[in-house]
Amino acid sequence: MSTIRPRSAAGYWLALPAAAWMLAVVVVPIVLLVWVSFWGGRAFSTASPLTFDNYARFFANQTYLKLVLGTIVHTATLMVLTGVLGYCIAYFLVMKVRSPGWRLALFLAFIIPFWTSTLIRAIAWVPFLGVNGVINQTLMFAGATQSPIEAFLYSHTGITMAQVSLYTMMAAGPVVYMLNSIPPQLREAAMTLKAPPFVVFRRIVFPLTLPGVVIGQVLVFLNVMSDFATVATIGGNKHALLSNLVLLFYEGSQIRAASVVAVLLMLCMLAGVVVALRVVDIRRLGA
Amino acid sequence: MGGKLGLRLTGWVLGTLTLVFLAYQWLPIFTLALLSFSGPTGGTTFPMNGTSFHWYEELWRASVMNDFKPPLLRSTLLAIACSATTIVLSVMAAQAMRGRFRGNGWFFYLMLLGLMAPGILVGFGFAIMMRLLGVELSWDTTTFLVQVSWTLPFGFLTMLAVFNRFDARIEEAALTLGASRLTAFRRITLPLVLPGVIGAGLFGFSLSYDEYARSMFTTGPELTLPLAVMAQLDRQLTPEIYAVGTATTFFSLIAITLFTVAFWAMRRSTAVRRS
Amino acid sequence: MTVDALAASPPAKAGTAQGPARAQLDLELRNIRKRYGSFTAVDDVSLKVGKGQFVCLLGPSGCGKTTTLRCIAGLEEPDDGGILIGGKEVTQDPPWKRDIAMMFQDFALFPHMTVARQVGFGLEMLQRPKVEIAQRVQQILTSFEIAALADRKPASLSGGQRQRVALARAMITEPRILLLDEPIGALDYSLRETVMLELKLLQQRTGISFIWVTHDQNEAFSLGDLVVVMNHARIEQQGAPEDILLRPATAFVAGFVQGNNVFRGRMGEVLADAFCIETGTGTFLAPRALGAPPVPPGTEVSFSVRAEQITDQLSDRHVNRLTATCTAVEYFGSVRRHILERSDGEVLKYDQFGAHAARIVPGQRVTLGWAIESTVLHGRAGA
Repeated sequence: MSTIRPRSAAGYWLALPAAAWMLAVVVVPIVLLVWVSFWGGRAFSTASPLTFDNYARFFANQTYLKLVLGTIVHTATLMVLTGVLGYCIAYFLVMKVRSPGWRLALFLAFIIPFWTSTLIRAIAWVPFLGVNGVINQTLMFAGATQSPIEAFLYSHTGITMAQVSLYTMMAAGPVVYMLNSIPPQLREAAMTLKAPPFVVFRRIVFPLTLPGVVIGQVLVFLNVMSDFATVATIGGNKHALLSNLVLLFYEGSQIRAASVVAVLLMLCMLAGVVVALRVVDIRRLGA
Repeated sequence: MGGKLGLRLTGWVLGTLTLVFLAYQWLPIFTLALLSFSGPTGGTTFPMNGTSFHWYEELWRASVMNDFKPPLLRSTLLAIACSATTIVLSVMAAQAMRGRFRGNGWFFYLMLLGLMAPGILVGFGFAIMMRLLGVELSWDTTTFLVQVSWTLPFGFLTMLAVFNRFDARIEEAALTLGASRLTAFRRITLPLVLPGVIGAGLFGFSLSYDEYARSMFTTGPELTLPLAVMAQLDRQLTPEIYAVGTATTFFSLIAITLFTVAFWAMRRSTAVRRS
Repeated sequence: MTVDALAASPPAKAGTAQGPARAQLDLELRNIRKRYGSFTAVDDVSLKVGKGQFVCLLGPSGCGKTTTLRCIAGLEEPDDGGILIGGKEVTQDPPWKRDIAMMFQDFALFPHMTVARQVGFGLEMLQRPKVEIAQRVQQILTSFEIAALADRKPASLSGGQRQRVALARAMITEPRILLLDEPIGALDYSLRETVMLELKLLQQRTGISFIWVTHDQNEAFSLGDLVVVMNHARIEQQGAPEDILLRPATAFVAGFVQGNNVFRGRMGEVLADAFCIETGTGTFLAPRALGAPPVPPGTEVSFSVRAEQITDQLSDRHVNRLTATCTAVEYFGSVRRHILERSDGEVLKYDQFGAHAARIVPGQRVTLGWAIESTVLHGRAGA
């Protein structure tokens, strides 16, 4: 018994606006993308014949194929970096910080940047990474290098550095949640069964936080795959990932090519999410 | 003994790592804020060549070309509209889920799709759809539609989590006391889940205010703030951008703090009334 | 549940004894103390547990019994004092180096492991060969009658099944001491009595010392060889169950244990074989043991009388007498309990055994009495 009768029509009416909104703004446009990616001819017209030519052209180009591979490698690198770093931080916050005051302070210190714009945070890396940037100035001041290293701004390293700072908390958040939901008695029980701390971690804590790790990895995966803004801000025009290619074609009014890349991007993401959903049931997390 | 020493050592290593990462995350933001106060001859990096409000004055005096005030107004209005829409729709949707209507699993995945689908795909696809339908792109129509599809799933999940922890027996008590379902929801359920509702609203505000990818494809000639910032970055990198960044970060933090304070005050007043 | 499997296998630690002290005591606590900020959780607790003893730590919630147990397990480190397990100093040792096992209140089963994996965990940690582990797990699951559950996960088990899994998991390594924190508190009431009996039999056959924490005195008195009553972080009294039932050492113990009437008053005249105690409802006599030192008159003292030691069939033996008004009569099978109000407003309980016809009805004023040796004086003087 609750304020809504189970399996009543009221449920449909309440869900209808949200469902309609999501269908019209998310599902239909994505289906449209797939359709447009098969359009032949040159005109922007629903009467365009359907063809595989757009895909054939894309896959015939070595540069684009390398870009797909590069995007996957870059994303995987970030997943590993943010995953390890995020897990360590989550573990420290939940397991090692005992005083409530410190807990709150650290929590705020981590959460506040999350409430600010990702774009601004990406831009904030620019003065850091440049040839005359803070990192180079610091390195030269410390005598670690004679001349500035150009490898930061407009480089792959710079993009990775900025994205690690942007997305590590996405990997850590779900782990924090899962760690918090492990009753302390489980670890204590393992200890009284002669398991030393590392074994307790490997056999009890880690398996129980695995769903959180997977969720975090999915979040990082999706965000990095589609993060063209950071790449554009820090990488300039020199570096691009698959999502930048969408933008590039779109701005060049090559709607069909842009759609092809978008569809490929979508397929990559879909594959990633399907793999993740096989490992954990996201729906259980809400309970 | 070795075990305990190991534990302490792990704590130190992880703690250091955490603090280093915090510094890593905060330093750029601080640097950005610091450089926004550099002197009139200051560049986009150190040295600052003095301290001044020069770049903020520039920002205020701005010409038509790089005036950030209208975009700021647009972004704020848009964020408020998205926040309000998210609150209403997500409470309805979460309440619907409690009724376990047939097909609620599909509905859940539909909402989840909005969360997972990247902005670049949704924005691009929506732009194509608008072009097919012959609809003019504008920040207050098309951008609003797209942004709600982004803020709504967050609000929905927040409300689901809140209702999951909600003790339905309280509602049952109200119903056995003769309240209708609607009255019980309005008088009992809603006040109790209000913190969650506010949380959903905050999510909506913040996500909309900062959204870039979706807006980029769906906004007409009148830009929102993130778009204006990016456009300026494309033209020329000056400390003015740092000033915008600092100001807008400051502005959104103030907005969130105000929300939170108002919420606390409200909760305290209801608490007093109850006792 | 049968316990042959465990009884049959010899205790693992045999033959590694270091000295005579080790053979005598399974556990010794020497003045342990534990504080959390300004709150003292365990204060000066000392305890000796002989080989294969069943010890119950009894007390109200927050009395420090669970913290004491956690100190023994190594999950808390005492600020002061020493802990010896099997004669070996372990105060500084972490839990995984102590010869103990523990059963937790909510069983703390690992949600991601099957029953078989779970039960074998302790042996895995001891790095026993896989074949041996499989064999021992099979054996213990069979003897605990849960072999059919081997491949299930905890979420799909009933309360009673979980309890057995938790017990099997703890017992499989044959520790010197098994620590049990309210082990049957999470079970249905109807199951408790059976499980208690099974655990008692198991303990007797295996010879493993049990330290059982509970707030339920029925559990403590029916199971324990040694009952330790704690209150406010301290041990109030330790002894055999009948000791504590019949001779409570403090007013707290007397009040905590069911069926006692507690009186507070001042020491009056000291006779050769009795103390006179003056209370608000009259003067009562308590026995004075031979050679017991006199207590200065005027000292505040307390004493108790068990409800079943009181009678309304007065004779010359019943020198302690008082008049009270009956307010209620309750029946518990073989016992008829009368609740009476003393002239000072306190409650007096009087139990009458057997199914006799009621002699006292509510509203009636009666004079009751008890023999001098039924008075149990608390504190040093009476001990």
